[in-house]
Amino acid sequence: MLQLDSVDLPESAERVRHEVREFLRAERDRLPRPCSDFASGHDPEFSRRLGERGWIGMTWPKQYGGGERTFFERYVVTEELLAAGAPVSAHWIADRQSGPLLLRYGSEDQKNRYLPPITRGESYFSIGMSEPNSGSDLASVRTTAERVGDQWRINGTKLWTTDAHRNHYMVALVRTEPPSENRHAGLSQLLIDLRNDGAAVRPIRNITGAEDFNEVVFEDVVVPADRIVGEPGNGWKQVTSELAYERSGPERFLSTFRVFVELVRAVGTQPTADQAAAIGRAAAHLMTLRRMSISVAGMLEAGKSPEVEAALVKSLGNDFEQALPELARSVAPTAPVAEGWDRYRETFVESLLNTPAFTLRGGTREIMRGVIARGLGLR
Amino acid sequence: MDTRKLLLESAERIFADHCDKERLESAEGGAFPEKLWGQIEENGLHMLAMPESGAELGDAFALVQLGGRHAAPIPLLEVTLANRWTGDAGRFVSLGVVSGERIVDIAWGRRADAAIGIEPGGEALLVEVDADIEHRVNPSGEARDSIEIRQPRTLDIEDPAWELFALGRTAAIAGCLGRVLELSVQYVNERQQFGRPLAKFQAIQHSLAIMAAEVAAASRAAGSAIDMLGTANPERFALEVGVAKARVGEACGIVAPIAHQVHGAIGFTHEHQLHHFTRRLWSWRDEAGSERYWQERVGRHVAGLGAERLWEFVTAPNSLRS
Ligand SMILES: Cc1cc2nc3c(=O)[nH]c(=O)nc-3n(C[C@H](O)[C@H](O)[C@H](O)COP(=O)(O)OP(=O)(O)OC[C@H]3O[C@@H](n4cnc5c(N)ncnc54)[C@H](O)[C@@H]3O)c2cc1C
Repeated sequence: MLQLDSVDLPESAERVRHEVREFLRAERDRLPRPCSDFASGHDPEFSRRLGERGWIGMTWPKQYGGGERTFFERYVVTEELLAAGAPVSAHWIADRQSGPLLLRYGSEDQKNRYLPPITRGESYFSIGMSEPNSGSDLASVRTTAERVGDQWRINGTKLWTTDAHRNHYMVALVRTEPPSENRHAGLSQLLIDLRNDGAAVRPIRNITGAEDFNEVVFEDVVVPADRIVGEPGNGWKQVTSELAYERSGPERFLSTFRVFVELVRAVGTQPTADQAAAIGRAAAHLMTLRRMSISVAGMLEAGKSPEVEAALVKSLGNDFEQALPELARSVAPTAPVAEGWDRYRETFVESLLNTPAFTLRGGTREIMRGVIARGLGLR
Repeated sequence: MDTRKLLLESAERIFADHCDKERLESAEGGAFPEKLWGQIEENGLHMLAMPESGAELGDAFALVQLGGRHAAPIPLLEVTLANRWTGDAGRFVSLGVVSGERIVDIAWGRRADAAIGIEPGGEALLVEVDADIEHRVNPSGEARDSIEIRQPRTLDIEDPAWELFALGRTAAIAGCLGRVLELSVQYVNERQQFGRPLAKFQAIQHSLAIMAAEVAAASRAAGSAIDMLGTANPERFALEVGVAKARVGEACGIVAPIAHQVHGAIGFTHEHQLHHFTRRLWSWRDEAGSERYWQERVGRHVAGLGAERLWEFVTAPNSLRS
């Protein structure tokens, strides 16, 4: 029914893998962080070095600083970085989502202006979708942008905006026409300069103690008319077109991969039967998920928009990465009982505390299941 | 690949014609489905794994997967592999597993001229079948007979017999899982309660979404292991089979209960066809190594490699294929 075809990574992708591994060996002092979550290490210096290597905007046209490489090559770069626990969050959204959005819907001016700095690892983007009263029901956003002369005047509040306090821009989903019968009509996307437009950014502490997401308040914030992305009123279509990119990548199942690594280290070469089974089980899930994700990369490469397949990979992948610390814990006690286990414990705790976010961000588990059900013809 | 598609299309017609509820029951009652088997033989579908057939080995496994979709009550996998190893499709030779002094779990051993017993990870022994064969069935009512090992002949084969056997069961499970999903989707669209189809209830939608994800994972896992046939590295092949068998086995334990839940009481009746598929899932996940068996095997290997080589293991390219 929902079929994920067999896709082999081409030679070119395996060559890139080799280069990334070499590069990562030289970055040892930054690696690995205990948590391989894509959203948990903001390091502009590191992002710039990736930019130098041509590993940001890899699939984009050269004209805008891109590498005109395949989705498979990009796939390999992203999975290698995540698995190594590299700090990639600064450029992540710009590379994965905002850049491709601009490429597809942005004006020539916007592409020339915003894309090259992204590919250099110097310009970072945030996603401005959620609001206090609009989470899963994204079409209900209330932030408005009103056209006044050759400007947009913005009022409202965006919430949970990851890294708005560190990044340069936000692509905000706003209402440019009053709500009507068709709730998906009248929405638009605007580029906000988070440092210069006058939006008030307030970090919000999360359960790990970190300040990663934010509240962003717009009170009569005025931006030039040319900040609109695509056509006014086309926002819903544009937002949903980002989803296949947003949902199918390796960041949807590798967030706790470092726990797996430390589990293998902790149990050593003579695992008990239960420990071996847990490791084998995790490997079976991980290897299968990875192949499913590569299959979706193949669809993206072929120019398709596999929204349902992406939701399926995200859903299954999030469940896996959320369950992995629990699985580890069931066969290797997390109390520091022996020499060398501190690293395991640190990785475990840091990953565990992040697990609730996996099945929320980027569309909740329930929303993913709804998308899959639609793909099955049930709704 | 095109020839595989053609092959599967014609096989689909054969299975669809011969695997209705009545015939599944008759086979379960102990009557070998001679008509269906006659079609298989006539079309040479039991010879696809023999080098002289000209088919790719993967074709044979794709066919077994299709057989699983239809719960085809024949020893297709077993005879296909036996023919490859004996080189003689003229005799009906089936497969089972060596257990102490016996070969057990021989698919339709009572119909066979001879049986090959596989030792997990070890040798394969050929034994002639005689009247002493004991009739047994697995939980889905499939003939799984047993015979004492007398005057065995050790087969001189290069194939990893146990792993190929496990790969075949993996493929059949993947096919069968797909069918269970289809039956469930169809049923919830038809059955009405509270004035609307069950499909319109979110709880039902989410159950089927979970099922669909498991089925897609199982199908990808099985497909990837089939793709590894012919790899130059036998150890890697064994581990890939293990990954796949473990993954599809786990899917069985999630998919079958959901299928029964959404079918309600009708799905618990013998009259309904669902159990022919779900009982096979429950049977097959334990045959050729349960998920626990394969998880341990893969896990021991990974632990032996150590933490620093885990990622390398996960990402090893399929181009290890020769
Ligand atoms: C760490 C983190 C980072 C984030 N970063 C960003 C960001 O950068 N930019 C951004 O725009 N947003 C971001 N988000 C917000 C995220 O997109 C939302 O949390 C998500 O869309 C859910 O919205 P909500 O939190 O308002 O929950 P709600 O929508 O209120 O949902 C609460 C619960 O109810 C369930 N639910 C809701 N509707 C239904 C329904 N119809 N049927 C069944 N169940 C339902 C949900 O699945 C969930 O379990 C982030 C969230 C987190 C946790």
